[in-house]
Amino acid sequence: MSRQDAPKKKKIKVPKVVNGIESEVEIEVDDVPGGAWPDRASLRLLNHDLPRVDGPEKSSGRARYTHDVRAPGMVYARLLVSPLPHARVKKLDLDAARKVPGVVIAIALQEEPKWLGEPIAAVAAESVEAAEDGLRALAPQLEAMPWAVDHAGATRPDAPRVGKDGNLGKPETNGDEAKARAALKASAASITATYTVPIQHHSCLETHGVVVDYRGGDEATVYCSTQATTGFAEEAAKPLDLQASKIHGLNEHMGGGFGGKFGLGLEGQVACRLSKELKRPVHLMLTRRDEFLMGGNRSGSVQTIELGGSASGDLLGMVATSFKHGGLGRGSLAGQPYIYAVGDTYRAVRSVLMNLDSSRAMRAPGHPQASFAMESALDELAYALGVDLLEIRKRNVKNPEAWRNEAWKRQLDRAAQEIGWAAHPHKTKPGPATGTECIGIGFALGNWGGGGSKGCEVEVKIERDGSVSALCGTQDLGTGTRTYMAAITAEELGLPLAGVTARIGSSRLGNSVGSGGSVTTASLAPAVKDAASNARALMADHLSRVMNLPAAGFRFMPEGIVNDQAKSPTVMTWAKACATLPVEGLRANGVWVDSLQATGAPCVQAARVAVDPGTGRVRVLHMVCVQAVGLPLNRLALKSQIQGAMIQALGYATGEGRVIDPVLGLQMNANFEEYKLPHALEIPRMTTIIDDEDKRQAVVGVGEPPAIPGAGAIANAVANACGARVRELPITPDKVLMALGKVV
Amino acid sequence: MKSFRLLNPTTLDEAIALCADPKGGVTKLLAGGQDLLTEMKEHLAGPDRLVNLKSIPGLDAIEAGAVGLRIGALATLAKIERDAGVRANWTALSQAALSVASPQIRSCATIGGNLCQRPRCWYYRMEEAHCLKKGGTECFAYGGLNKYNAILGGGPSYIVHPSDLAPALVALDAEVTLRSAKGERKLPLEKFYVLPENGGVEKETVLADGEIVTAITAPAPVAGMRSTYSKFKERDSFDFALSAVAASIVIAGGKVTRARLCLGGVAPVPWRVPAAEALLVGRVLDAQAAREAAEAALKGAEPLAQNGFKVPLTKTLVERALLSLAG
Repeated sequence: MSRQDAPKKKKIKVPKVVNGIESEVEIEVDDVPGGAWPDRASLRLLNHDLPRVDGPEKSSGRARYTHDVRAPGMVYARLLVSPLPHARVKKLDLDAARKVPGVVIAIALQEEPKWLGEPIAAVAAESVEAAEDGLRALAPQLEAMPWAVDHAGATRPDAPRVGKDGNLGKPETNGDEAKARAALKASAASITATYTVPIQHHSCLETHGVVVDYRGGDEATVYCSTQATTGFAEEAAKPLDLQASKIHGLNEHMGGGFGGKFGLGLEGQVACRLSKELKRPVHLMLTRRDEFLMGGNRSGSVQTIELGGSASGDLLGMVATSFKHGGLGRGSLAGQPYIYAVGDTYRAVRSVLMNLDSSRAMRAPGHPQASFAMESALDELAYALGVDLLEIRKRNVKNPEAWRNEAWKRQLDRAAQEIGWAAHPHKTKPGPATGTECIGIGFALGNWGGGGSKGCEVEVKIERDGSVSALCGTQDLGTGTRTYMAAITAEELGLPLAGVTARIGSSRLGNSVGSGGSVTTASLAPAVKDAASNARALMADHLSRVMNLPAAGFRFMPEGIVNDQAKSPTVMTWAKACATLPVEGLRANGVWVDSLQATGAPCVQAARVAVDPGTGRVRVLHMVCVQAVGLPLNRLALKSQIQGAMIQALGYATGEGRVIDPVLGLQMNANFEEYKLPHALEIPRMTTIIDDEDKRQAVVGVGEPPAIPGAGAIANAVANACGARVRELPITPDKVLMALGKVV
Repeated sequence: MKSFRLLNPTTLDEAIALCADPKGGVTKLLAGGQDLLTEMKEHLAGPDRLVNLKSIPGLDAIEAGAVGLRIGALATLAKIERDAGVRANWTALSQAALSVASPQIRSCATIGGNLCQRPRCWYYRMEEAHCLKKGGTECFAYGGLNKYNAILGGGPSYIVHPSDLAPALVALDAEVTLRSAKGERKLPLEKFYVLPENGGVEKETVLADGEIVTAITAPAPVAGMRSTYSKFKERDSFDFALSAVAASIVIAGGKVTRARLCLGGVAPVPWRVPAAEALLVGRVLDAQAAREAAEAALKGAEPLAQNGFKVPLTKTLVERALLSLAG
């Protein structure tokens, strides 16, 4: 339908207050084009670089995170977590803890912890220091029970039983093994290799935690660093024994989540219990060490891939045998051959249970693991066949949705151009391990949905003083939610970005979807657009009555509002127009509109590295990402988000990984000294390219896809540089030297 | 962290008296606090009293002149790294200071504290692992996760010496000045450290209770001396050494007349390699000489299960460090 058609009428619901009692009434307004985004060329704010509206607040320290909350009479709680993966608590001196000056409560939580880091007891005190002294006074005596914390330990014949039905999950299989093996046999060349990825941690700067403010009575306020503001208050209702509607959930700002911050969590449950009992506010944020042990993680895996192809590089057969390491959970792993199409495939995946905390969702759950293995195997096969690394990718992307394949192919070309592939000498075989700086290039692909769903309720309010706000009980996981809420509304009403205030992070605002699976933007942005369109329609409706002009004629521009159908059209300023509103201003609601969003976020990444064969040092010099995003709402925020994902992949590739001593059962690197996140000097040149060939006039979430291919691209670049094929992440100097045969 | 009393003496004699007080309980010296406070937070140290050396004026002077180098124990790493005299004549030390941790830490950490810091072995650093160094019966690194541990001089403990400054200073023939109630003594820095097999299990130095490192001195460089410190980190931004090499060489008439080579990050003490030094003297410092010296430096290395990579890595570092001094 052309947007120039005469507007039809549509019915919308608006709030109406009579004698102080609010109700909703249905009214009819012009059906302004709320179901489609304006042409890209006509956008003033959207599809531009918009510095985030809460940036100054965050960078100056004024933004209040859950960690920063202080309430009158508040106490600080700490958890005693099990230092052993499986144990019986023989003695716990709660009385001694209670006698520590400042300690107000000490409770036992678990008599037989079954995973490393499971909370055993909790203490709350007037100060953090007193709470920590209280924890030590508990002086727990633990009897070690048999445990398994690694693959070998969990799969040996006499392994202690972690789960009721043993440690190995039932194999999930897919495909015909005999056919796949026959295809492998018929291949011009095939490779067999085993790829291992460790458990990765979310490493949010703000640890998990809550502040529960209950001081008696039937109401409470709960502050929580969470990815789902809507819902956690309801979860707190049970431990607080209050009606859910009497609990105000707040999450004004949060310091990262990456998939690991859903629900109230064990720590939240404990804080509710303590607050209820004490009738005092309780502050319970995990320590960094506790965060490593009980804050969730990305599951590890061991994947053996047999892959065969034709002489020209068509993939013919694949057999993938994989194990997932998700602690007491089942872990996650996307199905091989992941993004590529292979003639005949067979895969079998089993989870291996261990006495560790269950893995949680983490930025594209299961995908970076699968991508690293498949992209590595693909390059190994390309070398065996002597096929160009770019070519083999283009040949084997055969997604049923053809547009995705086209996207990957053009993105590959663009990434190749940016990374300098044309001039690179090692296209079909790795370079020699000589000199001090071997340069290598690697590629990898990513794929994701990123579509939204129903669930967000947005309200746009226009006040008589001209101020405008957009409200929703959603959260900003770090993606700049407030900025695009304000921008969408401002774009619709012809206002500057600063003319709209976004309010989020409260359970008293409209419902929101949780932020997981890259769904937030595609779920929320359409609802904001809908609310803003409705507000515009209501404003036009109001002005038409005030000015006695047809509502259809109003245009909302930065200069003001004009009615084209007036005899002598004059521009009325926004302030003047608003001044004609009734005292309660104007309010409009919005819900999700399917046509404003879409699914599908393919991407390609490339990495250029320098490997020193004398030391095994890998320096990532340059990373490129070309990402399909549909209609970009805020290009600056998108690029930041993509860069963050690339850095997370860089860490996964070169430094991160949980290390547990299988005998002592201790995590050796539950701190930021030994758990080696990339710091400033490790960050390469990063080229983030929004794929503007993706012309969809629809919003797509891209939180996860750029986190997928980076590790595979880097691993491939290392092998391409000098033949050092490291099949276990992270790629550290010891493994590079080992792969080069330099360690005797 | 256990509560403690913070004492702020204003003279060295006062500090020494406080340390010698038999009724004082466990007393520790506080300089930059970068290691000690971490140990206290991790419950690896629980002193009753801290004697704050920062409250004593004049302990942080750097005198880099024709007669030699003298650095007060309280001089920060940032100050050392920025000192033009140190950079010009004791280059290895300047480079070593710059290689430590982060700018924030370097602005607090002192040379005295750096030389006396405790090892980073992750078993030692974890309270729950009651290892040999903490009075237990077993060095868990020996049969455990030992990627970061010693390949030379290990046993019965396999820690590696963590300081960057120490190998550089050993290569520069530095001496350390110690003061206690008994008076002052001065000894080569090399002799300050003790191998585990020689009694250095629960502590790593000869520093006696109540004794204070007051200064580090090094002779003036002879004509033709040049030095370098090369540190290899797993993560460039912020890390301890996986391996490091300090070298100082005197070249006269085109030939090496004196050589000092000291390895870091591979042995429980700064690991001087006299065989490699001897091999260089009297020769032209060329690729062949550097390679032979590297081989000699690593001779006798006994890697554990996971740290064999340190052998080729260190050889490369030695070779390259020497060649960088040849030109």
